[in-house]
Amino acid sequence: MPAAEAPPDAGRGHARAFEGGLRVEGVVAGYDGEPVLRGVSLSVEPGEVVGLIGPNGAGKTTLVRVCSRALAPSAGDVSVGGVDPYSVTAREAARLLAVVPQELAPAFAFTAEEVVLMGRSPYLRPWGGGRAEDWAAARRAMRAADVERLASRPVQELSGGDRQRVVLAQALAQEAPVLLLDEPTTHLDVRHVLDMLALIRGLARTRGTAVLGILHDLSLAAALCDRMVALSDGRVVAEGPPEDVVTPDLLWDVYGVEAEVTRTASGRPAVAVVPGLHGTPAAAGAPSVHVVGGAGRGAPVMRMLAERGLQVTAGVLHATDSDATVAGRLGAPRVTVPPFSEIDPESAARCRALAAAADAVVVCDAPFGAANVENLRVALAAARDGVPLVVLEASPIGDRDFTGGEATALWAELTARALLVAADAAAVVAAAAVAARRGRP
Amino acid sequence: MADPGPFPARRGRLTIGLLALLLAASILVAVGVGAVWISPWDALRLIAWKLGMTGAPRGIPSWAPVILFQLRMPRVLLAALVGAALAVAGAVFQALFRNPMADPAIIGVSSGAALGAIVVILLGWGAALDALGVPAAAFAGALLTALLVFRLARVGPGVQVATLLLAGIAVAAVVSAAISLVMTFSGQEVDRIYFWLLGSFAAATWPQVLLVSPLLVAGSAVAFALAGDMNLATLGEERAAQLGQDVERFKRVMLATGSLLAAAAVSFSGLIGFVGLMTPHILRLLVGPDHRRLVPASMLGGATFMVLADLAARTVVVPQEIPVGAVTALLGGPFFLYLLRRQRRAAGARG
Repeated sequence: MPAAEAPPDAGRGHARAFEGGLRVEGVVAGYDGEPVLRGVSLSVEPGEVVGLIGPNGAGKTTLVRVCSRALAPSAGDVSVGGVDPYSVTAREAARLLAVVPQELAPAFAFTAEEVVLMGRSPYLRPWGGGRAEDWAAARRAMRAADVERLASRPVQELSGGDRQRVVLAQALAQEAPVLLLDEPTTHLDVRHVLDMLALIRGLARTRGTAVLGILHDLSLAAALCDRMVALSDGRVVAEGPPEDVVTPDLLWDVYGVEAEVTRTASGRPAVAVVPGLHGTPAAAGAPSVHVVGGAGRGAPVMRMLAERGLQVTAGVLHATDSDATVAGRLGAPRVTVPPFSEIDPESAARCRALAAAADAVVVCDAPFGAANVENLRVALAAARDGVPLVVLEASPIGDRDFTGGEATALWAELTARALLVAADAAAVVAAAAVAARRGRP
Repeated sequence: MADPGPFPARRGRLTIGLLALLLAASILVAVGVGAVWISPWDALRLIAWKLGMTGAPRGIPSWAPVILFQLRMPRVLLAALVGAALAVAGAVFQALFRNPMADPAIIGVSSGAALGAIVVILLGWGAALDALGVPAAAFAGALLTALLVFRLARVGPGVQVATLLLAGIAVAAVVSAAISLVMTFSGQEVDRIYFWLLGSFAAATWPQVLLVSPLLVAGSAVAFALAGDMNLATLGEERAAQLGQDVERFKRVMLATGSLLAAAAVSFSGLIGFVGLMTPHILRLLVGPDHRRLVPASMLGGATFMVLADLAARTVVVPQEIPVGAVTALLGGPFFLYLLRRQRRAAGARG
């Protein structure tokens, strides 16, 4: 099947029309003088599938409107297949770029076939019905979207999944070199989403279509796309292969959610959003647990404690440590010091107060050196005052002692005083939660 | 080269052919019925002779051609033209407003025409311009009202369809109030005005037929040409633009076309209700919503319906004549309610 035959009555600029994919450079656009896009640049090469992610209001749909000739940018350039869509007619632009909208609701009972044939509108002449090549293109599109069997059914009567595939077929019938997906899978169940995305992926490969898609499911977007672009507040904040863009830090920065990102068998990022942890404070009067972490060892423990509704406190943490980031996101009262610096006496005292006020203390198996060995003394002091103590020990202290023996000695006393020493964070959290709740009068 | 298309399209073509035959038959019968009966066969022979296709037919009384061509033919043809114009205008507005309940009167054309006609009747200028004073004034009133509504609905560079709808309703209400006011002070002319408002083809003449024909031909030609765009319009403006439509130009052309057709219709026939609303609606059930079939089908269907309604208007209570607007409303009102209930039931079943 030809990628997209040059229309016989192609006008100016069409000689270069089928090379170059989609390019957006420094685009500023908005409504009523309020910019929504504040200088966006991105490109999609032929055969490439690029996912556009970002929260509501980031400017994704505005970008689709700019590219589809519906909203002229106030600054910057758009080029579709080497042509500025605003320099040609709507008809010519529709041969270069097709949009798959979120949904389609015709006012009257058109059949699926009639709806798909409307996708040939940019090629039809007034008075002329469909020519043989238009019928053929419509049939190809229907075959590709697997809706041939629905041809004579009114689209209003179709299920959401079938109707959306008809909409896709309509866009495919345009046989445009650039395809924009404007959240086309919003109303579909997971199976239909997978089918549609696989189909689009295949089209990019076989026809060399350049695809830019807004997709809400981040894991699916990461699985489908060659590259991803993250928009936030009208600007591109990240761009690159899915594994570089879909990271916990970006998801926090852009969406403000805690998320765990793992890898699928094919190495793609898979996102699991952690519910309830985006800065929601624990209930007033909830039992509190002080966590001694470091080097990222405290993060999972703090997340799990917060998930159980406990008030987390933390310290002393070094500012760039991911433990400090997580404690910050959880809204945990904490004591932090600058990176790599030793804990000063004033911070130590404040942290001692936090630990003493806690209903339980968890010590995690961080590496200990001169910069943070003070934390062990803080925990020990609380334990001596009768605060229940739980220790996470997945690796021996000998491997983590960079103090020349001081940390090992402190660790020995801590483990001796602990209610539980375990290698499993979940077990440690469970024990700390029980101890903290029992400790309340 | 051209694909015969799928089965529904073929069925549509068949229906359009049948509608054309039905219109021809209706016209033949309608020109024959009246105080004196002329058989369809005689009518057909007379028409063939008049068109120069055959020699003078024998065995037909000498008064028959006079009655046929001077009295009945203009009336029947004007009814057919007005019915076709209203139906095409209805299809145009229903596509533009994406609403099967839209009517040519929606943009104030009818009330504007009425006001123009009434003013001329009251001023006694009705006989001016070779008896075309009333139609001319009605046409002017209709177009002026439509223009006013468009101006009110203009927001920035484009016309907003929702605003257009509201502006049309508001302007029509004001104009109707003006009509009521004028009629209150119109004394003995009130009967004439009232008769005009109800609509009638009783005063049809050949010049009227010749005046309406080019408007109908031009308006329908535009509607045929834009049938594909009318299909796109039913998807909504944003999607239509994505599929290559110059939306603002389309809306302007559609509004001008629909208004011209509706204005031409009302100025010669008064306010005839329900034809523009019902005809596209019914034919959509028969040939489907594709405007490449719906526009010609509506044109034929509207013409046929109007010819038969006028036939009923002048024959049911002989020698009295019922205003044709009353006939169409009597038939159309209940039918419209039936459609409304059917649609609501269908929506309920789907929901």
